[in-house]
Amino acid sequence: MDSSNSSRAGAAAELRPYSAAAKREWTRPGSDGRPAVILIDSSQQRDFVVGAGEKLDVTFIVLPGTSAEIPVNVDIAGPGAVVNLKGLYLSSGKDQVSFNINMRHHAGGSVSRQLFNGLASGEAKCSFFGKIIVAQDAQKTEAYQENHNIVLSEEALVNTKPQLEIYADDVKCSHGATVGKLNEDEQFYMRSRGIPEDEAKVLQMISFVAPVLSGLEDEILATRIENAIRSLAI
Amino acid sequence: MDQREEDKIIEGITSQEYKEGFVTDIRQDFIPKGLNEDIIRTISSLKQEPDWLLEFRLDAFRKWQSMKMPTWGHLDLPAIDFQDIIYYAAPKKDSDRPKEIDPKLEETFEKLGIPVREREALAGVVAVDAVFDSVSVATTFRASLAEKGIIFCSFSEAVKEHPDLVRKYLASVVPAGDNFYAALNSAVFSDGSFCYIPKGVKCPMDLSSYFRINAAGTGQFERTLIVADEGSSLSYMEGCTAPMRDENQLHAAVVEIVVEKDADVRYSTVQNWYPGDAQGRGGILNLVTKRGICKGSGAHLSWTQVETGSAITWKYPSTILKGDYSTSEFYSVAVTNNYQQADTGTKMIHIGRGTKSRIVSKGISAGHSQNSYRGLVRMNPGAVGARNYSQCDSLLIGSKCGAHTFPDIQSHNPTAIVEHEATTSKISEEQLFYCNQRGLDAEDAVGLIVNGYAHEVLSRLPMEFAVEATKLLQVSLEGSVG
Repeated sequence: MDSSNSSRAGAAAELRPYSAAAKREWTRPGSDGRPAVILIDSSQQRDFVVGAGEKLDVTFIVLPGTSAEIPVNVDIAGPGAVVNLKGLYLSSGKDQVSFNINMRHHAGGSVSRQLFNGLASGEAKCSFFGKIIVAQDAQKTEAYQENHNIVLSEEALVNTKPQLEIYADDVKCSHGATVGKLNEDEQFYMRSRGIPEDEAKVLQMISFVAPVLSGLEDEILATRIENAIRSLAI
Repeated sequence: MDQREEDKIIEGITSQEYKEGFVTDIRQDFIPKGLNEDIIRTISSLKQEPDWLLEFRLDAFRKWQSMKMPTWGHLDLPAIDFQDIIYYAAPKKDSDRPKEIDPKLEETFEKLGIPVREREALAGVVAVDAVFDSVSVATTFRASLAEKGIIFCSFSEAVKEHPDLVRKYLASVVPAGDNFYAALNSAVFSDGSFCYIPKGVKCPMDLSSYFRINAAGTGQFERTLIVADEGSSLSYMEGCTAPMRDENQLHAAVVEIVVEKDADVRYSTVQNWYPGDAQGRGGILNLVTKRGICKGSGAHLSWTQVETGSAITWKYPSTILKGDYSTSEFYSVAVTNNYQQADTGTKMIHIGRGTKSRIVSKGISAGHSQNSYRGLVRMNPGAVGARNYSQCDSLLIGSKCGAHTFPDIQSHNPTAIVEHEATTSKISEEQLFYCNQRGLDAEDAVGLIVNGYAHEVLSRLPMEFAVEATKLLQVSLEGSVG
């Protein structure tokens, strides 16, 4: 346990005050409720304020060869908001990718869902830090978070810290995190049906990332992701 | 259920009394307040300790002086003046009958339900080491355990009678400079239990330590050392209570457990220190370091804890899984009410091949309390095929409390599998309605639901403890229906 995420009781103080002015400042991908895809090429902080009844749907994609710190702050300011945050990171070589998500529910009656999946090969270091904070009066909040990782090589390293800070009682919140490997039984099944081992691994990895990319319409990006996955399988 | 009735029940629960809050009026020896090398020398000489142990204490004290109080916990810790604490308090020994237990002390433990005299209890036989403030007052069944080669005595006696064993294992799991409170404990620890199970011996009865804080202005710094040699097995229980006072009292313990090849240790705690009153005044600051090591292959260590007391709990019973194919479990129920704060969890460090661990944590918060689970699971590069599963559930009762989950998962191994999941919820209207409809009032219904929620953990406790823990849960939550 380290002190990087130190927090104190009564940490509702950590719920930063936000203002109408701040709301105008943020870049607005996905703010109209249409899904937005952000291809990460460098470290950059991203802040979103989501008001009553608004929708936010953003997918972050990190391809091999990218090292970046990606802090994302989402402040849910009103009821009836729906936030979908998704992320995919494919890391190899000496890549260092770290997500730092703060999902703050200031107001009740909103829903947030997070899904972040990552593959780490080579000597990559991937870390996921994701915090859901539900303020004391934010009743009827629903907040979910999932983070799944697959470690593909001996030298790769994955750290994950999903966190819940809940100050209201009438809420539904959960998080789940897994770190594992590609399932050997599945590989055996495919190989016994004539699919080469490398291809079997590619299929497994594609099915692993598919839930994150279910709504992706960009064909060119989809092809780039598939090629990236193939590069990891070797 | 209408709002008013609900509020009334909530008030009822939060105004629950603490049964063990009485003070024993007994003549006691104290040493002066404060902490410096002279105090440590005084403690050491009062206990007639060998030089190496005094050196160990002084070394720890020097380390402690250079350390800072950790602030990473999700806790609002009051400032502790370490110079304002009495580090040693012991009941006066009658010079005529030095071997006898003071009747008043016996009465105290009797009142707490702890037999300090050997007798057959209905539920089975348990050997007890009873610790009152800074000294162990009685250890039962020592003779019959000794027949099997089992050593079970107070820590001070162990230092005198089995210095080699103590010296070999002391601080081998929790080094003196491990953390701020462990260093403090290493410098000033007073008494505690020592237990050694020889090779291949299955301990015929449950062993248990009972800790009681009585004197005002003191702190309790007990030290427990358990060694289970190859192929042995042991079930160990620990309980604790303290009087009701407006001041915060410090309890900084260290528990070390060494589990050799193929040995099996089950360590259970029911922690019921005084939690402070409904306004959050007083209560014990429970800042403890507990750690075990599965040294040899096939070793097994299981932690089970029921935490209902203490104003502040800072406690992470941990296991180092060093031996190949060793296993460990952590089962915890932590209940906080009123202004209690708990930051508790575990660490599972996987070093050996094929090591497995399982974490089940159930947090229940009511009133204005804050309840956090904090855990670390680390898969080292050598932990080939290691496996961990963690499940942390939080139950919120009332809208003023908080429940938090801070897991940390670090995997350095492509063959290791780690899973973690956590949920937060409240007792649903439907569940309450269902119980009400069948004639259970709201309070009983909550008791039933909470017990069901915590059942997976409670079922791991030895029988005597399970009964006590179930009752404690009910009492701790009385009136907190939401």
